[in-house]
Amino acid sequence: MSNTITCPICGKRDHYEFRFGNEERGPAPAQKGLTPEAYVEYVHLRDNKGGPQKEWWYHRDGCGAWFTIWRDTLTNREVSAPGEVKP
Amino acid sequence: MKRLPSFPTQRVDLEKSLSFTFQNKRMEGVAGDTVGTALFASGVRIVSRSLKYHRPRGLYSLDGESANTLVNVDGLPNMFAEGLPLKEGMKVRAQNYRGSLEKDRLAFIDRLDGFMPAGFYYRLFHKPQRLWPWFEKKIRAAAGTGEVDVRREHPQGRSRELYLKAEVCVLGGGPAGMSAALAAARTGARVVLLEARPNLGGYYDWRVAENGGRPLYELGGELAGSLGGFPNLEVFTQAAVTGLWGDNLVTAAQTGGPDLDYDERYIEVRAHQVVVAMGCIERPLVFENNERPGVMQPSAALRLARTYAILPGKRAVFSVGDDLGLEAALDLKGLGLEVAAVADCRTEGQDRRLLEALAKEGVEVLTGWAASAALGEPLVKGCVLGSLSGGETKRCDCDLLAASAGVSPLAGAMTQAGAKLRYDTHTGFFLPREIPPGIHPAGRVSGYVNPRSVEASGRLAGLMAASMAGFASEEELAQAREELSGLPGPAKGVQLATGPGIGKGRKSFICFDEDGTVKTARQSAAQGFDVPELAKRFGGFGLGPSQGYTPGVNLPLVLGQATGTPAGDLSPTTQRPPLKPVFMSTLAGPGHDIFKRTPLYDVSLELGGVMRRVGVWKRPRFFSADKTSRAEIKNVRENVGLIDVSTLGKFRIHGPGALKALQRVYISNMATVKEGRLKYSAMLNDDGCLVDDGVVTKVGENDYYFTASTGRAGETAAWFRYHTRYDNLDYHLVNLTDVLGAINLAGPKAREVLAKVTLDDVSPEAFKFMDYKEITVGDGVVARAMRLGFVGELSYELHVPAGATRYVWDLLMEAGKEFSIAPFGLEAQFVLRLEKGHVIIGQESEARTNLIDLGLGFLWDRHDLLSGKIGAPALRFNEFQPGRLKLVGFHLDGSERAPGDGAIVVSGSDIEGFVCTSRHSTALGRYIGMALVTGRLAVEGGKLQIYQNDNNLPERFTATVVPTPFHDPEGLRLRM
Repeated sequence: MSNTITCPICGKRDHYEFRFGNEERGPAPAQKGLTPEAYVEYVHLRDNKGGPQKEWWYHRDGCGAWFTIWRDTLTNREVSAPGEVKP
Repeated sequence: MKRLPSFPTQRVDLEKSLSFTFQNKRMEGVAGDTVGTALFASGVRIVSRSLKYHRPRGLYSLDGESANTLVNVDGLPNMFAEGLPLKEGMKVRAQNYRGSLEKDRLAFIDRLDGFMPAGFYYRLFHKPQRLWPWFEKKIRAAAGTGEVDVRREHPQGRSRELYLKAEVCVLGGGPAGMSAALAAARTGARVVLLEARPNLGGYYDWRVAENGGRPLYELGGELAGSLGGFPNLEVFTQAAVTGLWGDNLVTAAQTGGPDLDYDERYIEVRAHQVVVAMGCIERPLVFENNERPGVMQPSAALRLARTYAILPGKRAVFSVGDDLGLEAALDLKGLGLEVAAVADCRTEGQDRRLLEALAKEGVEVLTGWAASAALGEPLVKGCVLGSLSGGETKRCDCDLLAASAGVSPLAGAMTQAGAKLRYDTHTGFFLPREIPPGIHPAGRVSGYVNPRSVEASGRLAGLMAASMAGFASEEELAQAREELSGLPGPAKGVQLATGPGIGKGRKSFICFDEDGTVKTARQSAAQGFDVPELAKRFGGFGLGPSQGYTPGVNLPLVLGQATGTPAGDLSPTTQRPPLKPVFMSTLAGPGHDIFKRTPLYDVSLELGGVMRRVGVWKRPRFFSADKTSRAEIKNVRENVGLIDVSTLGKFRIHGPGALKALQRVYISNMATVKEGRLKYSAMLNDDGCLVDDGVVTKVGENDYYFTASTGRAGETAAWFRYHTRYDNLDYHLVNLTDVLGAINLAGPKAREVLAKVTLDDVSPEAFKFMDYKEITVGDGVVARAMRLGFVGELSYELHVPAGATRYVWDLLMEAGKEFSIAPFGLEAQFVLRLEKGHVIIGQESEARTNLIDLGLGFLWDRHDLLSGKIGAPALRFNEFQPGRLKLVGFHLDGSERAPGDGAIVVSGSDIEGFVCTSRHSTALGRYIGMALVTGRLAVEGGKLQIYQNDNNLPERFTATVVPTPFHDPEGLRLRM
């Protein structure tokens, strides 16, 4: 795991300063009227995308912020968000 | 052996001799020798025996690119004699022979190669299958390299780690690498240069050939010297690059020694840009007996003389593929080596000056010729040269056959970074294509051969790297580009891999590690394993330390020949990290015992505390030799004890969104938390399983103070923020864990002790069970005091500033003297809380245990559907799920000992749960415990059958399920 991750506060840092927080799936579903199926879908099922995905990271050995990046799961490299043009 | 007279290129100190042993014989080398050169100087020619055929092997390249010179040094197997610096007193032993090294009893296997075609072990011996184990044992015993001595103690703590950051990391300290580092350092960028050999200079280091009227070794020395003046440039020698990883992470292993505080050091460089200038190796020429001791690469022969002051033989024949080979022949001739003949596989393109100089020396140069066989056994006594156009052969007597087919750039690091290697028909090199951004090739790996071009390509690469890291300017870059374009481009090289007239190539070795020959390569191809990656595995090529080096380039060339693949389509096998072998102990790291100390660590030691690791901490487990801590337990129950609980997580959360955050992560209704009162609650994960428990109190408007368990403190902030990440809540979470120490004062006399150290009212009326109060202790230390009852006695938990914790501890110890106060450790606390049936997460719960299973369902605010309480849906869905393990208390029936944690609860042959904890209870005078068991067994008065099999000692216990708490069920003692 040699890749780098860009923290919006601290900048580009070594991967091992961070903790993974899963792919972006939006907020938890409302609990009122929640079915077991919908709950399991949210809690346990993942898209496991091969390619760029938006995901959460926590800067554990740094500022302590949660943030999202786009990472290509096939190359394990941070990539630009779709449509975003990096300078 | 007499050494050559002193000369500036030498890297040995001829005055300083070092003694060592080889095969128990005493030998002498000099300072600066490697084990290999010292052996050679002492007349040793056979250093090892080969893996499969037990053929004699000796010095070949001097850089350890094959298993040829693997030896056992001081009990460590598989050390590269060629590269390992010689140290006084080393005990060196050869490997993989029977009887004697010179007359290996297994050498007969060499004649049995006909029975061992490519992949024979995959296809023979497997039928009938039951015979395979027998064959496997025999094959493994006969084949192999070194043996690991499992009893040998590897010196502890002799590895180090170094983590660096750089704008530019340069791999390789030859002319290209040094030029790159210099150019980049001049721009002000931080530069790290890694060189595998003990000194900088690369292939300039030993050469007396001139460039611009000055010898190359002098130019190399000058370049190396010029690197000295930069504070932003760090140079590491004896640091072999082991890998180039994603986003330009470079790893290397640096050799140390007795004079340094490490044997090997792991270096990791996070680089913005990387310059790859690792130079080249000589590409072996493959002919019959091409690995016979006495056959070596021309540069190895030249380095023996120029670097180590050893004449590599008496009478030599050269078979070369480029001008470096001609230059070596000429230089060695001048040093006194008799040169019988020089075969050059090229028919044109030689440096005319070299040919003229050789002619002047009376050396015959056969152009369009190459070696076809080495003669003599076990050492080279002669050779057969053959013309490549066919027919003509010539025999020569010699004791040195210096042979190569040219050079081959080292591109392993490039391929690890994602570049693809393709054969370049002009240079005869495998050159990288599709080079990932941020990586800049320089020197050989760009195809350059001419020294000035190599240097200029280094400068350009260094500037490009610096520029991409935001340093060098466009003008500087343009200048460097122009300079390089005016210099000679990549030179024409040769494609030849095999010498003429080798026939089937029975003993023409492509891979020295696994004895892979031209014949076995062709057999692989004939059976369909016709691309390098397949032939590598089927025939056994480059699976050993030589991966990518000795066989890496010749295997695709030989296979290409066999299959008729156009050269331009060839690519070599993948060279995997580590590029050079690394000690496992180096990767394991220095073995630091890193732990946190509480403010009471020292006083705990002074009081006889026996420390144990608990998560990131070291804490006292016992305060006596008695591992059951009975005296400590008794003192808490009868008098008063105190325990260091500073490791508890301590947090403040404040701001308008604080309550919403608490409602999210705690399962109870946190709106009922009142000032001055403590509320016990738990945090669950999405599955409804317990992850943490603790108490919360309100200390002001939108301001709360709460505790987390020891193991969880580090996670708490991440947990809160993760579960509120979409809500944009306005709160601050402050981790006070290390800012505050904590002491739990517990026992029937606790109030009397506390009253002696504070003027605040701690009477039962003013300070009730589950009250929170800020009190002043001693000389004005403000303590957050909590009346809790984890151990089941009247107790006060005092959270005080870390710096004052020791003071408060001493104060309490002094005040408690008359009440027989004594410290207690974790074991005592463990038993005390067990008697109360209080759970510890991870002890009485596992990954599937939810809140209800633990009997803590009353904490759940089941009516709150709006706060989004983590884990609440899971509790709802699983509340009545059958088959869940439930926590129960038990008495052990008539046993004199407790089952171990984790002993299983059985019913016939079914497993119905397990014991979480079982200990002797002094208060009850019997063995008690808690277990997680199926609902069927979780019935009061029911029997549990417990079984354990520790160290093959099967034991059975019977227990009776009883209600908890075991001790003081009404909780009268803690409410005193």
